[in-house]
This record gives sequence, structure tokens and C-alpha cells, in this order.
Amino acid sequence: MTGGAEKSLRISQVGLRGVVGAALTASHALDFASAFGTFLEPSGGVIVGRDPRASGVMMREAVIAGLMACGRNVVDLGVVSTPVIQHAICRQDAAGGVSIGASHNSAEWNALKFFGREGTYLSTAEANELLDIYHLRKFDFVEWEKIGKLRQEAGAIDRYLDDIAAAFDLEAIRRFRVVVDCCNGTSSLILRRSNERFGTSFILINEKIEGVAFAHEPSTTRDAVGLQLAPLMRPLGADAGFLFDVDSDRVAVAAETGEPVSEEMVLPMLADYLLPRGPGRLIITNLSTTALVDEVAARHGGKVVRAPVGRQATIDALASYRPEQVAVAGEGTGAVMMPRFRFVYDGIASMLAVLSMMSERGQPLSQILAGYPRYSILKAQLPLATQRIPALLAELRETYRDGAANVGDGLRVDWPGRWFHVRVSQTEPVVRVICEQRGDPPRELFENLLDRVRNA
Amino acid sequence: MPKREHLLKIGVSGIRGVVGEFLTPQLACSFAQAFGTYVGVGRVVVGRDTRSSGEMLQHAVTCGLLAAGCEVVDVGILPTPTIQVYVGSTRARGGIALTASHNPPEYNALKLFNSEGLFFNSYERGELLDLYHQSSFRRATNDEMRRAVSDYATPPRLHIERVLKHVNVERIRARRFRVALDGVNGAASVMTPRFLAETLNCELHAIWVDPSQPFPREAEPLPETLGELAGLVRRTGSEAGFGHDPDGDRLAIVDETGRVLDNDDVLALAVDAALGRLPGDVVVNLTTSRSIDDIARAHGRRVFRTPVGEANVVEMMQAVNAAIGGEGSGGGIIFPAVHLCRDSYTGMAFLLDRMAETGLTVSQLAAKLPRYHRRFGKVAFEHGRLGPLMQALEESFPEAALDRTDGLKLLLDEGWIHVRASNTEPLLRLAAEARTEDEIERLYGRVLKALEE
Repeated sequence: MTGGAEKSLRISQVGLRGVVGAALTASHALDFASAFGTFLEPSGGVIVGRDPRASGVMMREAVIAGLMACGRNVVDLGVVSTPVIQHAICRQDAAGGVSIGASHNSAEWNALKFFGREGTYLSTAEANELLDIYHLRKFDFVEWEKIGKLRQEAGAIDRYLDDIAAAFDLEAIRRFRVVVDCCNGTSSLILRRSNERFGTSFILINEKIEGVAFAHEPSTTRDAVGLQLAPLMRPLGADAGFLFDVDSDRVAVAAETGEPVSEEMVLPMLADYLLPRGPGRLIITNLSTTALVDEVAARHGGKVVRAPVGRQATIDALASYRPEQVAVAGEGTGAVMMPRFRFVYDGIASMLAVLSMMSERGQPLSQILAGYPRYSILKAQLPLATQRIPALLAELRETYRDGAANVGDGLRVDWPGRWFHVRVSQTEPVVRVICEQRGDPPRELFENLLDRVRNA
Repeated sequence: MPKREHLLKIGVSGIRGVVGEFLTPQLACSFAQAFGTYVGVGRVVVGRDTRSSGEMLQHAVTCGLLAAGCEVVDVGILPTPTIQVYVGSTRARGGIALTASHNPPEYNALKLFNSEGLFFNSYERGELLDLYHQSSFRRATNDEMRRAVSDYATPPRLHIERVLKHVNVERIRARRFRVALDGVNGAASVMTPRFLAETLNCELHAIWVDPSQPFPREAEPLPETLGELAGLVRRTGSEAGFGHDPDGDRLAIVDETGRVLDNDDVLALAVDAALGRLPGDVVVNLTTSRSIDDIARAHGRRVFRTPVGEANVVEMMQAVNAAIGGEGSGGGIIFPAVHLCRDSYTGMAFLLDRMAETGLTVSQLAAKLPRYHRRFGKVAFEHGRLGPLMQALEESFPEAALDRTDGLKLLLDEGWIHVRASNTEPLLRLAAEARTEDEIERLYGRVLKALEE
């Protein structure tokens, strides 16, 4: 593919994702659901839920039809977050589940994510098998007598909150005044219910469930936090602010001072909170995530394992350790999972962990953040012709041969207190350039890199 | 000759097939998306009969319609005529009923209706099929996606209200008829018991009215499949018995002695009742009894005949603005004052109203009909043999007047013979009628002999 062309459909190990109508069609969804129904182990039902995008109903109908035709009993949770779906798979001992929703992408996108037993993400081997069945289009449709049944379940959010209440001391964090930008997504359903049941004080903005026009791009970045959430902190006298993507698996943070916090900070903060609690000593993250994680790990005698960028690589890395070895896993995007809460990316659980940390330390958020050395990260993306990438990476490696190179995913070069990572996006025809330095931003290195990518 | 099994048929009347390997959700979804593209952005009604594959296929169809940018109104499990009335009176863009009518339970099909709740005419059906084959569907973006809603209460109310306008409800209610019903656990299983017991105040004895259960007997309501209903009529001393097919459009009637009425007589009773109330002519297919001509003549009306098939009868009824029509052997009554579709509810209401009006029993009413004797059968043929067979038949009845609009119909003084090739199997369907049992015996014998030679 040549640079600049707009990608609107992606079928990969992570599932199916695309712009509805333009690229992602009913047939894609139906075939993928039929493949999943064929792939799953024979016993157990399948849990289905969706985010509020208008196209989600069409996608749900496809998923239900494909699964039922394969003889699967389907439980439809309606509009819920992805972690609630994973929780329900576990709770009902289902064979697996499907989350319909494009998470942090804009409204015209939609996607299918697939989960196995216990609500776990599919391993690479499983995901490849699913893809093979999809491409082969040989589905195990059953005879008329064995076609599956559909059941609607309304209480999934409450059952999820039951477990949340058992895992976190909601009593202790009730006193915090917390502003949440729901970005018209599923977090509003969960947090409104939490306020009703547990007396928490979440003040919700953009809380209306919306299918077409989100209040802003649903990405969990510092820039998005700065749009509406951060400016409200002081006027509302809030103790902390959180921003969720539409399906609530990612979170970004605003301090009580009105300062938007880098999305990179969620993982180091939670590592700092969770490492001393043990028993896990490992932080599993990717090559593009801040080096602050390494410093935090060193403070507590922990160890960082870095995988290539992308959810699938993190999941495969996670799968090679025993659960009790791991303290926390996640990315610099605000997607973090904890052994304490079932090892799924869960923005709500991440938020509650941050609030618990504030409560236990008796420190305001800004003070906790001030306890970390300053790292400055610069990120950019540039279009590039795919076929020139190997030459570019070789050239960069030659140019920066004084640093320690890692070629696990594109090229990462480390110097003491400074690193860069140049890689090809899995979702767009762009090269991503990330550069970080302890202290001030590494502007010169960053500009040099961008020039070289532009001239490649 | 190897048996040709029609496990899947995609044609001008839609999609029909054995669910699973053949009729897949993918096919249903694509066909629905073609349909949604064809009828345009707007509301489309979706309902179904009680087949176990219905719910799955309904989701596939809903998916295809939403993907085409249509709003979907789910009306759940309902008789086909009730769905059609609702489509027509709510001015939806169209409707899809998931039902394989009287086919066995492993089958299902998509029946397609236009904005008036009628079958598409033959030209429209051709266009839709081309659209499906071209796969050039409208694909709604997220902004263009419409809702999926449900309306379970309105369709039965609308349908029943219309039926009741044409009978004297009070005199039916006053009689408190004792009535038996066999719902075949089909689409009418909930609506008909309410209609008979509550609306028409009958003392109801019903079997097989559980829509969650499979069909307990062969799906087509015929004398040989309605034994349980006949027994129920006798056991309970019912004055009438009604038998449904799975989608509730056809009606079988059992008299108070437990005898299943001939389907042509069911239609004849309805035609007589309708012509007594409304002006207009009659349309029936070529295989329907001459008793209809006699009844029409008595009312001073004309009879138009069409090729076999509900869509053909309906098209002609529209053209001549008919008062009533139907297909004798198919067990279908079409009363356009309610809706231009096969409607078992009109049939039930007309019969009970007639009984209330005259004080006569079902068998007495049937006995007053013109009496003809009929014989039906089928003969397998090899491809390429159809022409010579028809030729032989025509030559052995040199005295007959010919009608070639649908296969071959031979019109004789003593009766008629109708021979046509099945649309779905290499079979010749035979029908013959005469005034006496001796005559039909002789006539049918001559037909078989001509075909054997």
C-alpha cells in the first residue's frame, strides 16, 4: 500500500475493525461471527455486548445470527463496557464472548473483539485459527433442531459492580469528588449505577449514551483530557478527573490542579501502587511505553518485560508467566490490567486503583505525580510507502549505532535517560515516531528522526 | 431416475431451503440487504412463524435491512396475513415474513411484501432478484443507521378489527359456539385462541397452541393430518373445528360430525358469504372447483381464472377489483376488504357468522353447496418428456376445449382436467372434477391411461 491512502478495514488477529458502510459490511460481521461459532469449544454459551454506536445494532444482529446458526446459545447484555462482557463470560462460565464496538476510534468505525473462556483475549495461535476459519468460510452450521437460543440479560453491570465492590474499598474513596468525562460511552452506565448503589461521588460529563456524534474523539490522550475535563477540575473543586474511551477499557487522568496528565502516566502510577503489594514483580508493557516504568520498577525491585506494540503481543507475553508473577500489564495508551481484577484491560478498575492509591497515601493526585521524575515524550506519525520501511530502519540503526538497539518491533534505540522508537502502525499506513527523554523534551533528536522518515 | 431434492431455491418468489448447510444466515442477510436496497430507506416489518430456525434467520434479516439503512419493526411470531395487514396499514416500505408455510420443519423461507403488504408483482420480483445477484447493495454508514424497534400488540388488533367489520359480532358472541382448534403449534397459536374465545366468545377446545414446541403433525392441514382435530370435535361435541398451517394463512374446517371439509368447499362457503355482502366478481385458480361458478352465477357475478399461485390470484383480483378470491385445493381464502392475502381469520369469522345467521350446522351448510367430485394426484416424469405427455393427453380428449394458461386444462361437459408441472420437482400435478363419482372415476382413469401410453 502506498502512503497516504486511507485504511478503512482491518482483519487481523485482534479481530475485525473498519468504517461501517464504506468498508465494514454486514457480511464481514456475519462471517466472522460464524467463524467464531465454529471455532469455540463445543460446550457453553456466548456472551455478546456492544458500545452505543448506531451501527452496533446491525453488528449485533449479525453476531447473534452467526452464533445461533452454529448452535450457540447467546446471552445479549445490551450496551455495556468491554470489561463487563469479559466479567460476564467468567461469571456464567461461557465458552466465550464478543464485544461489538470500536473503543477509542471515532463514531463511524466499528469492530468485533473476541474472547475465550474466562473472558481472556485469544492467544495468537487461537486468533490465527479463527482467521483461517473466517477465510475458509466453512462454518459448522447445525440442523434446525439444534439452532441456538437468545436470552437478554439486563443485570450484567450490577453483577460486575458486585465484584468491583469486593475488590476495591469503595467506602474509602467515596469521599473523593471525581469528575468523569464519559465521552458518551459505556462508563456512564457503570458509574451512575455506582453512585446509586455505593454512594460514590462521580460527577459525569458527556454522560448521555450516544450513537452518532460523540462530544469529542474518544481517545484517552492528554490532549483529549485538556478539551473539557481538565478545565472543570478547579471550578468543580474536584479531587481527580478521569476520561474513558467508549467501551471503557482505557482511561486518562486529570489532576485536581486542572493539569491534564500524560496518558503515559497511568501505568507507572499503578506499577508504583501495585508492586509493593506483591506478590508479582513483573511489569509487562510494550516498546513504546515510557521509561519511567523502568525507574518505578527499580524503586520496588521489580522488572520490566517489553513486548512489541499491540494488544496481541502483550497478551502473548502475559501468557508466558504465571499470574502471581505479574504486578501489572499495560500500554502507554491508558490500557492497563491488574491481577487484582482479572487481567483484562479495564479503565474503571484502573481509575479505582488510582483513587485507592490517593486514599491510602493520603496525598492529592498532583502530589503523587510530583513524586516521579519528569519524562518528556514526543510522538508523531508520518505517511510512508510500506516497501521503503526496511531501508529506513537499517539507515536509522546505522546512524544511531552508539545506542542499544532493539529490533523486536521496528527499531528502538536506548541511551541512558533517552530513547526513541520508530515503527509501522498496525492500523494505519503510517510510521510512528516516539522519542522520550528524562527532563526536557528531546526536540533535536525528534526533528532529526522526522526528517529522516520524511526523506526515506 | 435420481431424485432431485430442492434443498435450496433462490428465485422470483424469494429464498426457500433447508436451514443449516443450505439456507444460511449469510444468504438471508444478503437477500434482506438486497430487499432493503430495493424498497428504499424507511420502515420494514419483520415477523415469523414458529420454526426453530426463525429467530436466527430473523436476526440475519434484521442485520441485512439495517445495513441497507432501513428501520426494522419486529412484530415477532404472527400469522402471515396479520403481518401483511400491518405492513399495508402502517405504510411501511415493505415486509419480510420468515415462514416456509406448509413445508416440513427443516425448511424456512423469506416471503417478501411491498408497501401495501402484497406480494411483489412479477416484474418487481425479477428486479429484486437481479439486484441480489449483482450484490450492489446500499450500505448505510454509522450516521445513516436506523433503529430496530418492536410492535407486538398493534398487528393482531388491526387485523381482527378489519375482519370484524364484515361479520355480525354480536350474533356470533350470543351463540357461544363450542369450537375446536388445532394450531399445529404455529404462528396462529396465540392469536387464534384469543380471537375465538375472547373476541367471538366461543367455548374453545384447543390443541397444539404452544409456539415454543415443534409441529406435532405434518404441517399441511389435510384430512389425513387432521385426525386429532376430528377426534377432538367429536369428543367435545364441538360445532366446528378449525385447523391451521404453520403460518396461519390457510384454513381447514371440520364439521360437527368430525369430517374434514374439502378445501374447495371451504372456499365455496366463504365466496357465498362474501358475495352476499359485497359487490364484485370472483377470482380463483384453474384448479378450483366449478362450484364457484355456480355460486357466482346465483349471485349474478363473473368468475376469472388464473394460473396456480397466490400471487397470480392476487394480481388478477387487483385487476378486476374482485370481491373475493382464492385457491380451492390450497385452502386459501382471499378477501380484499380485509386484505389481499390468504386469510384464515376471514374464513373462521364468515363460517361462524353464517352458522349464527342461519342456525344451520357446518355439515348442513356444506350440503347446500353445489356437489362435485374431485380427484388429485401426481405423476413423475423425465426431463424432456413433458411436451409429449401433454400432447398425448390433449389427443385423447379431442372433444375438450383447451386452456393453456398454466399447463393444460381440458374443459369437458361432464367436468374438467388440469395437468401442470410442479415448480419445484419433476412432477406432473393432476386434478380432475366431475359431477358424479362414476364420472370422475372414468375421467381420471382416462387421464392416467393417456399419460401411461
